[in-house]
Amino acid sequence: MKRRNFLKGMAATGAGVALSGGVGTLSKAQARKQEDFGVIKSLKVHVISETSWFDNPTLGKDIKAAGGINTNQYDVVYTEENLGGYAALVEVEALDGKKTKYLLDTGWSNDWMDYCFEKDGIDKMLQNREIDTMIISHDHIDHYFGLESTLKHQDDIKIYFPPTAMKKSFELLKGADFSATPGCPKNSIPHKGELIVTETDKLYKLQDGAALVFFDAPATLQVRGENVMYFNIKDKGYVTVTGCCHPGIMTLINYARRNFKDGSNNYGCYGGLHISPFENWDPKMDDILKGVKAMNMTKVACNHCTGWIWAEKADKMGIPIVHGTNKNLSYKKTGTLAKANTSNVYLGNGDEVIF
Amino acid sequence: MSNNQSLENWLTTRQLEPRWSVGLSGVANLIVLLIGVFAVWWIFFSNGGIFKLYTPLLGFSLVIWTLLILLWQTELFDYWPFSRSYLQNTHPLAKGATMSLLMLVIYLVLIIGCVYLIMGKLGITYFNWNSLMTYGDFGQDATSTREAASWAMLCLSVPFFLVSVWFMFGIGKDLFPELKQPKFGIAMWSIIAVLGIYFYFIFFHPHIGSMFYPKQIYAAVPPWWESIAQTNSAEYSLGILFVTVVGIFYAFHLWDGWPYNYVQKQPWRFIYFAVVSLVIGYIIFRVQLFIFDYIWYEAYVGGQNEANFGWRYSHTVTMANFVLVIALIQNVFFGQAYEKMNAVVRGLIKTIVAVVVGLLFAWAYYAWGPALLGICGGISHPSENAAAFLIMVINLIMIQDYFMDRWPGYRLKK
Repeated sequence: MKRRNFLKGMAATGAGVALSGGVGTLSKAQARKQEDFGVIKSLKVHVISETSWFDNPTLGKDIKAAGGINTNQYDVVYTEENLGGYAALVEVEALDGKKTKYLLDTGWSNDWMDYCFEKDGIDKMLQNREIDTMIISHDHIDHYFGLESTLKHQDDIKIYFPPTAMKKSFELLKGADFSATPGCPKNSIPHKGELIVTETDKLYKLQDGAALVFFDAPATLQVRGENVMYFNIKDKGYVTVTGCCHPGIMTLINYARRNFKDGSNNYGCYGGLHISPFENWDPKMDDILKGVKAMNMTKVACNHCTGWIWAEKADKMGIPIVHGTNKNLSYKKTGTLAKANTSNVYLGNGDEVIF
Repeated sequence: MSNNQSLENWLTTRQLEPRWSVGLSGVANLIVLLIGVFAVWWIFFSNGGIFKLYTPLLGFSLVIWTLLILLWQTELFDYWPFSRSYLQNTHPLAKGATMSLLMLVIYLVLIIGCVYLIMGKLGITYFNWNSLMTYGDFGQDATSTREAASWAMLCLSVPFFLVSVWFMFGIGKDLFPELKQPKFGIAMWSIIAVLGIYFYFIFFHPHIGSMFYPKQIYAAVPPWWESIAQTNSAEYSLGILFVTVVGIFYAFHLWDGWPYNYVQKQPWRFIYFAVVSLVIGYIIFRVQLFIFDYIWYEAYVGGQNEANFGWRYSHTVTMANFVLVIALIQNVFFGQAYEKMNAVVRGLIKTIVAVVVGLLFAWAYYAWGPALLGICGGISHPSENAAAFLIMVINLIMIQDYFMDRWPGYRLKK
């Protein structure tokens, strides 16, 4: 909002004229020079694992017993058989056809992540350096505690890391053992590669058409901040790839509009959208449905902490939800949602989406 | 404790004097308040404490209801069943403990007993988290149901609060001048309850009916305010109604009751009081929203955290309470220092001090809260609510004032 408009608004209110809130459109404010970080030809995201845990009520009970959703994540006693993890393989095709792979997050339970990495050949890709960069979106339990599963295959992988990560999360990188508390991590392989701790309000260009932006957004279990991947696909538009999307999907779209060249061309998104991770509903989530629908995206591929309920509602109201397959049912463990015969509005374990 | 009530309320007849100079007495009270705040927070509310009630909504619903009950005990029931001689002669610490205990017993009977246990089990599912888990499906787990039920109880308190202050200060004894306690309190409370429940159904029930999948459209209409508020959330109603309540307390603690003292004849006083309070509340609400727009740019439909319309409406309550806490401390602990001033100057200075120090208090809360209170950092944290802490502080100030005669800095004149 331009400051002079603000002052006009103040004057209107003083006269008792203003009756309703600002119109529900995205801010037209220009933050600064709009970035042009190039374009890519296409983007493929493969779901290594989106089942961060397998049963919501079990995790809910663990967190409640520890003191609630604002307890330090390293102080919660987790039910170990419930733990999974979140990770995705992000494959970028440049305009010249060259493909580059990025690992987004490294999951939680080492048993589960080792199983998923082996199933998808991620372990081999790490060993032969087909993947040489990992982005840690944020240091939440399910995105980061499985660090050892990655480092055991490539201990000098380049890592982009959130600056707001907890002290213990930084210690884990160097090698630490917090596993005395069930479900908490250990890492016996210190990281030896380049560590890039991202900063707020700075764009990190990964390659032409691919960038990383850190948002200092609040999250649960005393975690803060999230690194978000942006891609600009030639003749299509911008795609966001997120771990949990704690800043909010509309915030990411708004950021692109304000900061990127032709930023209004939002083509799609992949990832957890952190709307209803525990499948509970709030009327505010109806607002997100309305807001996302108004953005006219072409592909919305979501899973993990989005909330099946939100995805189901989005699908019914015409938001272009990318449907998953039943590949996840062939995994050694499936979440209680999958067992409940829900529709496949989630992109499940083993599924892929191409933008 | 006999019922030996005079016609005048105890609060209007009691006379307090500072034990030492006004400044020293106020500082002594402030120190005791701070000790009480940290002790109560860390024992009962904090995640690192014993009872961990700050979930945050369970703790929030508790403090807002106990504050309202405290006002009922003192303003509506005029301390019944405690006799004037008990109020006059008992040590403030003993009075504070006894009346606070009674306040908690009333909370347990009324909210936990009648609302949570009876109504939540036999009437309305969403008032009881175990009922939600029993009858619910996806999303009705231990953590989310506790928050949903606490939110419902919190919503119920808001119209009760507004109607209560309208009746306590806009009508007073005018409606039932002949009744003595407890008949007077019961009669007034009954009307407050009828109107409070009525307003609850209009302003909050549509939100709660939309908290489930599918929406409970045969029990609750979808939120009717969406096109006005740009959100389905009842935080819009909560913002306007609760800021209206806060605005009424500003008038009594900053402006000597202005502008409510212009009209005395009923029913015009009541109508004037209700309408003017809503106008003042709406102006405070709307000015805050413009300031938020200035700081965070416009909110937008579907935005999260500070970009969310609902959060901004809710945050008007939080910021209004930061100022109210300072207004109360200033007036209750140090108010006598302003007595010799011209009324307009007094009101102006008190308001400036409350707003400036209130904003500094807000800054300190968000900057140091993680270290001092164990809360999470960030202003728009989705599972934090500073208003819970602030209303707990207001509770303690009111206990110190109404139950304990502003002990230790002040004492009753004999």
